Amino acid sequence: MRVWETMEDFDQFIVNGGTVEPGDDMPSAYRQEVFRFIEMHANSELFGGLCERYWVSRAPGVHRKLAFLAKTQDEIGHAHLLYMVAADLAVKSRAQMIDDLMAGRSKFHNVFHYKTHTWADQIVIAYLVDAAALTTQQAVLKQCSYGPYRRILRRIVSEEGFHMRHGEEMLLTLADGTVTQQNMFQAALDRWWEPVMHFFGPPTKDGDLLIRWRVKSDTNEALRDRFVQKFVPMLQEYGFVVPDPALHRNASTGKWVIGDIDWAALRATQSNVGPDSAARIELSKQSWDNTAWVREALHVP
Amino acid sequence: MPTYEVFLKPDGKDGFFHAGSLDAPDDEMAALYCRETYIRRGEGVQAWLVARQHIVTLDPKELEVTAHRQHASNDGSVVAQRRRARRQAGTE
Ligand SMILES: [Fe+2]
Ligand SMILES: [Fe+2]
Repeated sequence: MRVWETMEDFDQFIVNGGTVEPGDDMPSAYRQEVFRFIEMHANSELFGGLCERYWVSRAPGVHRKLAFLAKTQDEIGHAHLLYMVAADLAVKSRAQMIDDLMAGRSKFHNVFHYKTHTWADQIVIAYLVDAAALTTQQAVLKQCSYGPYRRILRRIVSEEGFHMRHGEEMLLTLADGTVTQQNMFQAALDRWWEPVMHFFGPPTKDGDLLIRWRVKSDTNEALRDRFVQKFVPMLQEYGFVVPDPALHRNASTGKWVIGDIDWAALRATQSNVGPDSAARIELSKQSWDNTAWVREALHVP
Repeated sequence: MPTYEVFLKPDGKDGFFHAGSLDAPDDEMAALYCRETYIRRGEGVQAWLVARQHIVTLDPKELEVTAHRQHASNDGSVVAQRRRARRQAGTE
């Protein structure tokens, strides 16, 4: 167990590229920050899995159904891995985290506070949301100071890569399909572009603890920008219109510049009062309750 | 419920690595959870599950001193210095 006498010592350890392990006597503020971040990530994976599961029976064709089944299992698996890492920080037990989530006391990513209207919505999620998640996770994986999180992310990131490619494959099916299919994707993109921009979070404040302690290595704006530079041209190449009237290309840098973001909708999701928050929480609670008998049956000695 | 540590051995020359952990009521369930959570795409050709409570942990402080045993390793600087000295002596 490593001990740091002062916060300055700890900060210096982080600046020098140190990796913190569960047995270390880390400052409690660091423990809380890391825990909060991993718990929210775990919750979001679980909700992602539940959202994915809805489409297993609805996806067109056996191949897509199986792929969605595998993806659902991946997301639930990611949640499982992350809850184990979070629980080892000894802030809350795994059971407590689930309880809090089902009771609406915990946070999960904004994109899981919205309804999916059509199959194309799910494709936007599979492509853009998985890609956005991958962008943020890669930035954590790069140099996260908390060892167990960084190691488990390596596995998660490699699986998100499959999801993104699967999403792009489905997107291309619509892009190369009929006008109806193309319109369906455009309508979904119109609904989801703002939530996807929100996904990266509001501009990072000076003195952000997650940056200071190298849990995250990039600001929210930098991550959003990285995503915009990659996906705006891609969506345009596939024949779609990014629903941002102010979107333009900076003549001197050649970089894409997005319009001002209205944060009201993000704030609502952060307080669990987004458009579909209550229904999503209820759905997760139902699925948890419905599977209680399985847990009981499996755990009888 | 006991916590198990999961170790996987990938195919090929690499040894077992620590993949993560899981909670399970017994060994049989631990094996099931391990397959479902850790081995979905051939991540391991062998797997070890060890109840965390059975792991013997050594004090890192006792291990740290071994990283500074100069007598146990040799960076070649003395040899380089001697060789240099010999070369110089030869050319004079
Ligand atoms: Fe995931
Ligand atoms: Fe995913």
